[in-house]
Amino acid sequence: MAKERSPKRIILRVLLYVVVIIVCIVTLYPYFAMFCTALKSRAEIFSINGTILPIKAVWSNFIDIWKRAPMANYMLNSIMIAGGSTIIAMLCGIPAAYALARMKFKGQTVFLGFVIVSQMFAPVVLLVGIYKVMSILSLTNSILGLVFINAAFNQAFTIWLLRGTFMGISPEMEQAATIDGCNRIQGMTKVLLPVAAPGIVTTLIFIFINAWNEYTVALCLISASEREPLTVGINVFNGYNMIEWQYLFAASLFAIVPVVILFMGIEKNLVSGLASGGVKG
Amino acid sequence: MKNKTFRKVEPYIWILPSIILMAVFILIPIIFVFRMALSEVSRAGIIRGFAGFENFTKVMSNPAFKMVLRNTIVWTIAVVVLSTLLGFILALILNNEFRGRKIARAIMVFPWATTLVIQASAWKFIIDTDYGTLNTLLLRLGIIDHAVNWTPTAGAYFAWEIACGIFVTIPFVTFCVLSGLQSIDTTYYEAATVDGASYWQQLFQITLPLVRSSLTVSTVLNIIYVFNSFPIIWTITKGDPANHTDTLVTYLYKLAFYNGKQGQAAAVSVIGFMILLICASVYMVYTLRKGDE
Repeated sequence: MAKERSPKRIILRVLLYVVVIIVCIVTLYPYFAMFCTALKSRAEIFSINGTILPIKAVWSNFIDIWKRAPMANYMLNSIMIAGGSTIIAMLCGIPAAYALARMKFKGQTVFLGFVIVSQMFAPVVLLVGIYKVMSILSLTNSILGLVFINAAFNQAFTIWLLRGTFMGISPEMEQAATIDGCNRIQGMTKVLLPVAAPGIVTTLIFIFINAWNEYTVALCLISASEREPLTVGINVFNGYNMIEWQYLFAASLFAIVPVVILFMGIEKNLVSGLASGGVKG
Repeated sequence: MKNKTFRKVEPYIWILPSIILMAVFILIPIIFVFRMALSEVSRAGIIRGFAGFENFTKVMSNPAFKMVLRNTIVWTIAVVVLSTLLGFILALILNNEFRGRKIARAIMVFPWATTLVIQASAWKFIIDTDYGTLNTLLLRLGIIDHAVNWTPTAGAYFAWEIACGIFVTIPFVTFCVLSGLQSIDTTYYEAATVDGASYWQQLFQITLPLVRSSLTVSTVLNIIYVFNSFPIIWTITKGDPANHTDTLVTYLYKLAFYNGKQGQAAAVSVIGFMILLICASVYMVYTLRKGDE
């Protein structure tokens, strides 16, 4: 494009900034509203002459939620569910992606096809079936059950992203390592995985976030409040008759902030991985 | 000799853990859902015997089901189409070089990374008539002079739910398209400018064909996610009043876990899956064929 400072170009520039700023404000507005509300007292939220910013910031809301609900418990459960799901999804997904990227075998396309089709089934559509499998394995109302479900429903993404990463790395180094007497497993762990680290970290964080944010299956399977993750647990403040907005949003912020920070770190890698995986898939 | 047999079996050993995981927790539930859809199921979820298509006829004969089906279609089409359009435009904007682009991109990540339940709670609060911040904001800015009831009807609630759905879906589209845009060779545009092509000609004849594959990925995935989306509607209205804002997934959740009709819930699952399968494959075939031309 021409770089001269024509009036048309200046107008377009201004327009660009205006649109970007509006989009950013609208995007951040729900978070801003949550933060302001989390700082208000109950009386202030329900007062007739409401204000946007809190008149008197009640920082103690952020401390009170830990006494009013087992927040530490929810947090720990979320960490265990997300961490466990990530570990299992990776332990199953890395070898599968490796086989798909580096070996030729019968049924390869069938397997890849099933992986992609499995994406069509959201856990919510299969809830009755999942519930039944969980009762047979006596995993209802257990964190381990949620770990397996999250790991399974994230397999497609794991394999998709990792296969793309592995295929983007030349197999020559591993072949050289084999000649030096390494077996396949050593070739993978010592040569391929270190090179693939950025892709692996991206995948890992993405699964962690997905499992951390999961709500529906946890809502359905967990009936004991001490085993609920944050997404389900914080709804104690969201009662049928009375919603404690200030506590709900204070607790929500604890669930959002770590994940948003993690997500910003992987956004670039993740998107190119998804797009290229789709083209190759 | 032994080595040769091992070579043949080896790949299957590598994919075995993944197969077991998906078989137990995805494939078997799928089989159960189909089996339960065709069976008489007790309240506790015990299969009593073959029932043919009884569950399906019971579901379809319920007048609420027609409304739920219509809601699901409106919900999916509205959210996917509008978020794809807006997300695409936003990607074109963010593809320009400007100061603060990194910050703008970082901000766009927020709705994508936030769990839907919390996002939906925030919206529920914002649009509340009595103390919602939308009214407070507009009152303070002097745009309105008394609190507006943003949700006078069930339809209005549903429209807000769709708006919330669009809001959280846009970033995914934007980032997918953006990654497609950034892989386009700039010499195409330079050549087109030399040839005197206008902005719109460049958009439709260079940009759009080259980001088609990214758009296809994001659209197919979005059709599946939006169709199956549960938390937004569940948090804001729970499908009330009287199924007016229910979609298939919230409807089947209530059937299974509130009303104890697991057989019928399974039938709804099967119907939903069939619709999704048809939509996704039609879309894929259509776009792939267009791409071949």
